[in-house]
Amino acid sequence: MSKSFLIDTTLCTACRGCQVACKQWHDLPAEKTINRGTYENPADLSFDTYKLVRMREEVINRKLNWLFFPEQCRHCIEAPCLETAGDPGAIYKDPKTGAIIFTANTKRLNAAEIIESCPYNIPRKGPDGTLAKCDMCIDRVENGLVPACVATCPTGAMNFGNRDEMLALARKQLAVAKKKYPKAMLIDADDVSVIYLVGYEPKLYCKNAMASNAVFDITRQMALKRMIRPLTNITSRLL
Amino acid sequence: MNVTRRKFIQITGASAAGLAVSSLGFDLTPIKSHAQMLKTKYAKETTTICCYCAVGCGAIVHTSKKGDGRVINIEGDPDHVISRGSLCSKGASLSQLTENDNRLLEPMHRAPYSKKWEKVSWDWALTEIAKRVKKTRDASFEHKNAKGQVVNRTTAIVSVGSAAMDNEECWIYQAMVRALGLVYVEHQARI
Amino acid sequence: MTNHWIDIGNSDCILIMGSNAAENHPISFKYVQIAQAKGAKLISVDPRFTRTSSKADFYTALRSGTDIAFLGGMIKYILDKKLYNKEYVANYTNAPFVVEKAFKFSNGVFSGYDAKNRKYNKSKWAFNMDSKGIPKMDRSLKNSRCVLQLLKKHFSRYNTKLVSKITGTPEADLVEVYKTYAATGARGKAGTIMYAMGWTQHTVGVQNIRTMAMIQLLLGNMGVAGGGVNALRGESNVQGSTDHCLLWHIWPGYLKTPRASNVSLAAYNKKWTPKSNDPLSANWWQNYPKYSVSLLKSFFGEKATKANGFGYDWLPKVDDGTDYSWLTLFDEVYKGTVKGLFAWGMNPACSGANSNKVRKGMENLDWMVNVNIFDNETGSFWKGPGMNASTIKTEVFMLPACVSVEKEGSITNSGRWMQWRYQGPKPLGNSLSDGDIIMELGLKLKEVYKEGGAFPEPILNLKWDYMTDGLYDPHKVAKEINGYFTRDVKVKGKLCKKGTLVPSFGWLQADGSTSSANWLYCHSYTEKGNMSARRSKVDAPNNIGLYPNFAWCWPVNRRIIYNRASVDLKGQPWDKKDWVVRFAGKVKNGKYVSKKWIGDVPDGGWYPQENPDGTKRKDAKYAFIMRKHGHAQIFGPGRADGPFPEHYEPLECPIEKNLMGKQRMSPVAPVYGTDADAYATCDPRFPFVCSTYRVSEHWQSGLMTRPQPWLLELQPQVFVEMSKELAKLKGIKNAERVMVSSARGSLECTAIVTKRFKPFKIAGKTVHQVGVPWNFGWRWPETGTEESANLLTPSTGDPNTRIPESKAFMVNVTKK
Repeated sequence: MSKSFLIDTTLCTACRGCQVACKQWHDLPAEKTINRGTYENPADLSFDTYKLVRMREEVINRKLNWLFFPEQCRHCIEAPCLETAGDPGAIYKDPKTGAIIFTANTKRLNAAEIIESCPYNIPRKGPDGTLAKCDMCIDRVENGLVPACVATCPTGAMNFGNRDEMLALARKQLAVAKKKYPKAMLIDADDVSVIYLVGYEPKLYCKNAMASNAVFDITRQMALKRMIRPLTNITSRLL
Repeated sequence: MNVTRRKFIQITGASAAGLAVSSLGFDLTPIKSHAQMLKTKYAKETTTICCYCAVGCGAIVHTSKKGDGRVINIEGDPDHVISRGSLCSKGASLSQLTENDNRLLEPMHRAPYSKKWEKVSWDWALTEIAKRVKKTRDASFEHKNAKGQVVNRTTAIVSVGSAAMDNEECWIYQAMVRALGLVYVEHQARI
Repeated sequence: MTNHWIDIGNSDCILIMGSNAAENHPISFKYVQIAQAKGAKLISVDPRFTRTSSKADFYTALRSGTDIAFLGGMIKYILDKKLYNKEYVANYTNAPFVVEKAFKFSNGVFSGYDAKNRKYNKSKWAFNMDSKGIPKMDRSLKNSRCVLQLLKKHFSRYNTKLVSKITGTPEADLVEVYKTYAATGARGKAGTIMYAMGWTQHTVGVQNIRTMAMIQLLLGNMGVAGGGVNALRGESNVQGSTDHCLLWHIWPGYLKTPRASNVSLAAYNKKWTPKSNDPLSANWWQNYPKYSVSLLKSFFGEKATKANGFGYDWLPKVDDGTDYSWLTLFDEVYKGTVKGLFAWGMNPACSGANSNKVRKGMENLDWMVNVNIFDNETGSFWKGPGMNASTIKTEVFMLPACVSVEKEGSITNSGRWMQWRYQGPKPLGNSLSDGDIIMELGLKLKEVYKEGGAFPEPILNLKWDYMTDGLYDPHKVAKEINGYFTRDVKVKGKLCKKGTLVPSFGWLQADGSTSSANWLYCHSYTEKGNMSARRSKVDAPNNIGLYPNFAWCWPVNRRIIYNRASVDLKGQPWDKKDWVVRFAGKVKNGKYVSKKWIGDVPDGGWYPQENPDGTKRKDAKYAFIMRKHGHAQIFGPGRADGPFPEHYEPLECPIEKNLMGKQRMSPVAPVYGTDADAYATCDPRFPFVCSTYRVSEHWQSGLMTRPQPWLLELQPQVFVEMSKELAKLKGIKNAERVMVSSARGSLECTAIVTKRFKPFKIAGKTVHQVGVPWNFGWRWPETGTEESANLLTPSTGDPNTRIPESKAFMVNVTKK
């Protein structure tokens, strides 16, 4: 059974435990930052930052809101990055969990093209051209644990489990959220393994909170194209 | 350690020894072997309580059984009835508090008017501190106050600290400073 | 906390005021949101919109330093609308007590004020006693001199219009908060307060908390599940370190530090043991001598004998009427009367109010011992900003302590839970546990005093056998804290063998046959084992998250204190669903005939005050057993600043006049007089209200978080938050570096221009407020550019506690 996240932003307090737990588990170094007139830091996802809590102050219906959005890879069900790469030795989908995994071989890809292909602008290039992003803590998941960010979340904002369970939870939480946030919605639930529940318009939370439908249409066309590519071509690029 | 709990260490499916988890994602050879070895697999596990705020969240400390015996992971304790596995940004960084290049590792001494620290031994430091305490205490000790009441104290030595100590350490610390006759005994709870 | 973290999930209404739980106690929000999911309302009241406010059902702002006006308005609202729980108030609080005629309030001060000495004569606030020496009570609450009627009169001035003028909170918002919170006065409903330093760090800190405690009593919220008065303590073991009394005025277990006038142990016990003539008052502190003698037995072991007053004379005495608290301590350091300073796991150079004064004072020391995990602004003060090392004589010893995961021992959380920690790795490098350092230093001190010196007896006689194989042994200390029988003795008809652990404080004796280094912890480490190490996830039968066999909590594992107020006079819970305790004794002919309480450990196991048939019982005790008269104190005649709270402006404030009364600031708040103690109120040079606070990503002075790259990545620099309106006024752009200055100092900060701060309208005038976190200091990050907000804060504080007024003072903000 493939796995999914439900990220209920209506419960997120931006304690940023997830952001640090991610670095802790992956032994990722800190970035040198400055205060940019906001609590949000670092400024963007990077080769060393797979997860970033976006913090936005928005006045909605004359009431101030502080919107929090723990941004990360969505592990798309049909992942444009994977399709664009066409290189299972570099980007592959773990059949058990549905995790989209970037390997050290991503350095042989055209990084700009991969980043461009992502509907959520997630992958980032390292100094040697390798690409990195959230790996769903696949080592933990394979061993029966939940991802580090989910394990550390105090409020139930971060959830992880079998896809059908997460979809059921998403529906349930959406109904709860609608009482307080009539415009609450799930973002791209059918297309991604990381489903966000938001109380307001997605774009208020984060520039790339939502993908445009066009991106996934292109992906599907690309996937078809790959399927008719000669088999030998793929195997030759495995390693 | 009396830990009645979860199957945290009873990991299923761990195989393919030799595969290293890197910050780059995966070094996969062969590509189809997804099962990764947890970095915590052969570690000693101990429970702790977070040292920051007073919620008292539980955490699991994974200490390497090999080599330098240092911490390789600290994460929330799922069997702790208050925190249920959660940790905030500070709690999640406990391993970096422990394994930190900025830590003090040796007793240091700064002589009067000096511009630098000098490394000293524990024995020298504690012996010299005891001498300073005695000198100051003996010179300032008040048996009686201005009213002639017995007070047996010194006001020339003062102590601040510490809520960062364990209960047992707090108790012996206050016993030591009160036996010395200190009355200026304060700590974080006052500020 | 009277209750505990998990219990917040049982609440029907959570008021977060004077704290910022989502940011400073992030995991507590698990339970806030559990309560919300069950329909509870979350109210956030804060000068600035925080991460806590972002999750609130209702948020409103108030100007820093006006909490008593805000809450006083709620008291008036509750009384006017009769929303209080009358049965609770009449029977469990001192609302029915009759107060002597000498008690008055006029011109903004209470009777008994001595303006010359800035002190009250509290004898003017006494209760009217009957011929047996028991306070006169009118349970109908009608007597015009009873506490409830005096309370009505006192708060009659606190109408929403006036409160709004003072606080800057819109009247409609005040009413919304009052209405929502006061709804918890209904039977079976519980409201809770989560507060922290936002209430304590004021010249009216204690009265801020008293005002809320009074609201909780009026609404019947004390002792119940989802209620209580909950101080969110900020350090992992600040509860334990307070219990063990690393404070000048108390000895372990909240016993009094002896005054010079307590000339013998007998005089000391007589002075501090309260007496009640009321047979219905448990007056628990009548056991005081058992606890003080047992403590002395732990201090001096075999050397403490009846003949030598158990070593009472060996311990230091403080002068009557003299203060020895933090602000005074550093005042003396500044004046040069102090020669040696221990800064043990503390960073006063950043954490002390008016820290320029603290740092400058350190130059006057002969020596300092600084024990810490990292080099800090205290140990290295001599090379800090503006210091010239070659002119500073202070000798400094800096000792490396290990971190908590490298040692074993217990800490006590805010909910009073004592939890055991184990050793993971060994201490890094040559660092040592605090316990090892203390034991070794103690041995060195004993050694140097063997050859004589001033009054060596207490040092030589101090029991110091807490080592195993040459190393500090936390189990030995934990057992001593619990206490032993020091000889074979018969207690409660049972023979207790010498050397066995005392089962609980009910067994402690005043004759030297027991030791207990802290009576409150007696029951924590018994012959059954180390209670604090327990890990059972099984809840108690009432299923309200008590988890009685997980860790251990004081007193005697009682998870919710004052829990006998959670039941009516017949011992049956106000709240049938989330009940804490209930009396389950057998009934015969309408009378209870056997004693049995179920649920939490009851606050004393006596019979309820009434039988099921409504007849009164003579063998019962009042609910509030720690109070001399058995009743919770709505009228508090023991406080330094009055038996009722009154709104006073902070020492430094933006308005000339207190709109509530003639007295502008607390008439008894302490002030200091050195050249480093400048104060500036209503001074055009410092026009903006400022508050200090913390961020989620750093902790206290930041010493245990600033050396960590991951946390520095999240919050790299000290900042000042201000409204867009103020930024416009001062021409400041978001993210630019600016100067914040007060009468005492200044620091450079990054400006965060935010919608989360809004200007206040105070008495028709626009008042701006800003805020600066105090988590920074020059040593870390290594840029040296980030400094402590305590360079700005004043040396003044609460007249009862002397906790500094760091939450409301005046500053200016200017472009760099």
